[in-house]
Amino acid sequence: MNGRALLVGDVLIGLVPIVLIIALWQALAASGVAPPALLPAPMAVFRRLIEQLGSLTYLQHAATTLFRLFAGFGMAVAIGVVLGAAATGSRAMKAGLMPLVRVLAPVPKVALYPAFILTLGFDNASKIALVVADAVFPILLATYQGTSAVEPKLAWAAQAVGVSRLRCLFTVVLPAALPSVLTGCRIGLVISCIVVFLAEMITSTDGLGHLLVRAARNFQTVDMFVPLITISLLGLLLNAGFNALRRRLLTGFPEED
Amino acid sequence: MSGRLDAIPGLAPLIAFIALLIAWEATARAIGIEGLPPASQALVQVPAILGDPESLLNIAASLRRMAIGFALALCFAIPVGLTMGRSRRIAAFFNPLLMVIYPVPKAALMPIIMLWLGVGDASKTLVIFLGVTLPIIYHSYQGSRAVEEKILWSAAAMGMGPLARLTRIVLPAALPEILVGCRTGLVLALITMVTSEMIARQTGVGNILFNSLDMAQYDTVYAMILIIGGLGYALDFAFERLHRRLVGWAAPAYDIVVGTT
Repeated sequence: MNGRALLVGDVLIGLVPIVLIIALWQALAASGVAPPALLPAPMAVFRRLIEQLGSLTYLQHAATTLFRLFAGFGMAVAIGVVLGAAATGSRAMKAGLMPLVRVLAPVPKVALYPAFILTLGFDNASKIALVVADAVFPILLATYQGTSAVEPKLAWAAQAVGVSRLRCLFTVVLPAALPSVLTGCRIGLVISCIVVFLAEMITSTDGLGHLLVRAARNFQTVDMFVPLITISLLGLLLNAGFNALRRRLLTGFPEED
Repeated sequence: MSGRLDAIPGLAPLIAFIALLIAWEATARAIGIEGLPPASQALVQVPAILGDPESLLNIAASLRRMAIGFALALCFAIPVGLTMGRSRRIAAFFNPLLMVIYPVPKAALMPIIMLWLGVGDASKTLVIFLGVTLPIIYHSYQGSRAVEEKILWSAAAMGMGPLARLTRIVLPAALPEILVGCRTGLVLALITMVTSEMIARQTGVGNILFNSLDMAQYDTVYAMILIIGGLGYALDFAFERLHRRLVGWAAPAYDIVVGTT
């Protein structure tokens, strides 16, 4: 079969709705139905985006956002993986942890943001805390599900030849659970991206989210679109980068979606 | 979870909740800063808020927007997801678009949508709709894709039309997976609801929460956090009951679902 032609066809079909939306946007802006104050032309937004990506202050705001994102995500990975693996490893941990997760996971974490502001201040710490609170649960649960699905015989075999429990965790259980752990981390990464932006929108003096709110206050519509597009692009890039990393780390594992 | 704790459903989470409150009380008393009142003070405020007609109106307004946004998302996302699962062409048509939309923070669209639709219900409902649609489409798609071809062939051979096949075979077969999407969607609906109200403060729980923060009524802030958290837990719990009624025949594919904007 001509699988390659089919694939190219699929990609072309997939481009249709995206092109249509941009064309509709352009048509709306060009026809004057939507005044530029409400809907700037796509080219104006695109030009502004390029211009901003070359400006140092804009990049500093983006760097602030990225710093908060990675600090929060890094902590969420550390906490999530440790607690998830511990819940599999020890019955007592599981009995203590899982009801807590059950209570906290369905809580909308943004509602905790005021509490973080009050206890940690308006600065970086409260935003990082919110990112951790949001990203930690998918990572924790994926690690827990992944590690508890590992064939126990593998761990027994390692322990039978005298490997300590801790070493067994690092050399047998976690590597075997890696696909699941990485899936959780990828979900957590995109979540971190979104949450850091929202936190910056709610209260902040810098970062991409703050730029969006500042533009909204001054009715600079073009500048409202630019940070939004930047954070979405960042999300896409991080997601793609993480997928590439995942494929490298998982060479030899059976393929999954 | 094992042993006696399982004997009464909901007991373990209740104990966990009480443990959290005790930990909070102890931390607050130990640190003694104004920004973290003890749990007991916040708890006292909860009945006061729930007894105040104005706050109840706000909470009702929030829930109404959430219900409308969620219902609209269901009506739109399930048919789209199901047809995507049955046709490779349609899936190829929508998938890249969905992939591009996925990392966009939906609640962050609020300021832009407010320019078009104003600060009222319409923009908040639209944002909730946008936030909920994606996971439901995704899970309906996965569920519909997994339907056994042979069942559809035999139905077609017996003269069942394409629409009837979609509603009478694909929909029930994909229902467990659709409900997974709905549960994620429910969590997301609550998150977008609170966030949209924080950004466009006019009515709603997010409005009470942030106004009390601005007015330094810290007890009320924490009481609202408890109420919103309770709302999230209650909705999740109610959904689980509904889920068991609807698809008790299918093995539970998940235990706890998390999601975000």
